[in-house]
Amino acid sequence: MSGAPLNWPDGNDRVPYWVYTDQGNYERELEKIFYGPVWNYAGLECEIPNAGDFKGTQIGEQSVIVVRDDEGNINALVNRCAHRGVKLCEQDKGSFHEIICPYHQWAYDLKGNLLGVPFHRGVKGNGGMPEDFSMKENGLDILRVHVRNGGIFVTMSDEAPPFEAYMGERILGYYDRELDGRALRLLGHSRQRIGANWKLMLENIKDSHHASLLHVFFVTFGLFRVDNESRIEMDDTGLHTALSSIRGKQELNDGTAQMRSFDSDLELSDPNLLDVIPEFEGDQTVVMQTIWPNVILQQQSNTLATRQIVPKGPNAFELHWTFFGYETDDEKMTERRLRQANLMGPAGLVSIDDGQILERTQKGILAHPGKSGVVELGGRDTEDADHMVTEVALRAFYKGYRKVMGL
Amino acid sequence: MISSELRDEIADFINAYALAIDDGELERWPEFFANDCLYKIIAKENFESGLPLGLLLCDSQGMLQDRKEAFSKLNVFGPRSWRHMLGAVQASKSDDQIRARTSFVIFETLAGEDTHILCAGEYRDILIRENDKLKFRERLCVYDTTMIPNSIVRPI
Repeated sequence: MSGAPLNWPDGNDRVPYWVYTDQGNYERELEKIFYGPVWNYAGLECEIPNAGDFKGTQIGEQSVIVVRDDEGNINALVNRCAHRGVKLCEQDKGSFHEIICPYHQWAYDLKGNLLGVPFHRGVKGNGGMPEDFSMKENGLDILRVHVRNGGIFVTMSDEAPPFEAYMGERILGYYDRELDGRALRLLGHSRQRIGANWKLMLENIKDSHHASLLHVFFVTFGLFRVDNESRIEMDDTGLHTALSSIRGKQELNDGTAQMRSFDSDLELSDPNLLDVIPEFEGDQTVVMQTIWPNVILQQQSNTLATRQIVPKGPNAFELHWTFFGYETDDEKMTERRLRQANLMGPAGLVSIDDGQILERTQKGILAHPGKSGVVELGGRDTEDADHMVTEVALRAFYKGYRKVMGL
Repeated sequence: MISSELRDEIADFINAYALAIDDGELERWPEFFANDCLYKIIAKENFESGLPLGLLLCDSQGMLQDRKEAFSKLNVFGPRSWRHMLGAVQASKSDDQIRARTSFVIFETLAGEDTHILCAGEYRDILIRENDKLKFRERLCVYDTTMIPNSIVRPI
């Protein structure tokens, strides 16, 4: 944007559009958020079960290798050779026992220590590294890692609070509900690139009432709808949110009557898709968590997944989906999860709508950085709600965001 | 070995499928499949690692019907044109089953925007005859594309 002042309108109930489009603000987000005192989601342990297994991931715009070492510990290393900056690993996943740069063959162990430099002592008395060259100080950049019940989180900052305190008790409770310590079974990945600002993805999950209006599929089959019994809960910062809900019936009531998208006559030809069985304590059939800053942890019926958000400039992000079950699942349960996975992902019966609408939002606001969006549904407060006819989680989110960004 | 007649028939069938989708005739989509069928779009990274997750999975005629309904009536997306470009079909036959492999690229053009590649990959098909007509018993669409540009809003 052209040096226009980045003003924030008064109150919690407006969000200025420059926050989604301004390049300078985006660059400050990388520093203050993704590279700041947060815990970024980096994957699941079940993706790298054995010593030497690694996955490539991205934190903010930086490429990171997450690897399990010979002692079984998980390490996160910045994917950049300490010598000349070459991207060390180009694969998304694989296995190795040391990391060797193809350019000049600097070699590192799986903890990021520099093991060897060719011609270190010179050749025939010529060249070589200076006497005082420190192997110790020329290893890879090593990130702090926290693993909880199979989920891997990393931070680039020494200032990040302990993970549990970062999450807060209630959000951690929802986290532990899905990642409860049972071994996870990896079902697969899908990835999509969406031409919209990364925060719009978080907002999409925090904005609970859109599902009742945009997603005909959800609405009709009661999977997620405003008339369902629901809760919206935030942590103290307002940045993490847990949205939970209980599946409703396919019936006409004062909620569904207001949804143009509701169709009480629609029937599935193959009801197997929605052959949902309860598997968690409590009645909630949906729990969608946005864990600041880069992941959505979701249970929709028997579909369990993480969606990792990778920002790509102010106007695009990638969404890396990882679907999983539990090692204790029988074959029927795995089949059920795979069938229900049709709801989600880049061809998901409901998530297609989201990908499309987020891109349309970006197109709508792109040329209007001075205008603002309205988030007044349910009032102007930022307190938890026991229904979803509200934009409270968006208000709370931007209250927290402004604090982090100093806006 | 298969006869050139049969090879032509298979190629025509596979081509007709692509044209039906590009022409927007989604109501015809389930007709290309046998009663007992599997349709799956799967990322190459999952396929090669033995991970079962599909981007889209239908394992019955009913699920094909439901997807067709969702794509044509329920999902929200802007107008676009699709163009399947198919490679030459490689087919083999054993007993009553025909196996075929065909490369594909799909070009997508959104209203008012440049044409882009939606995905590239390979069909791995098993075909049978039902009432004397060729049908897909199984159609695996294994796509190479690492990052799907937004979403896939129709069958491929």
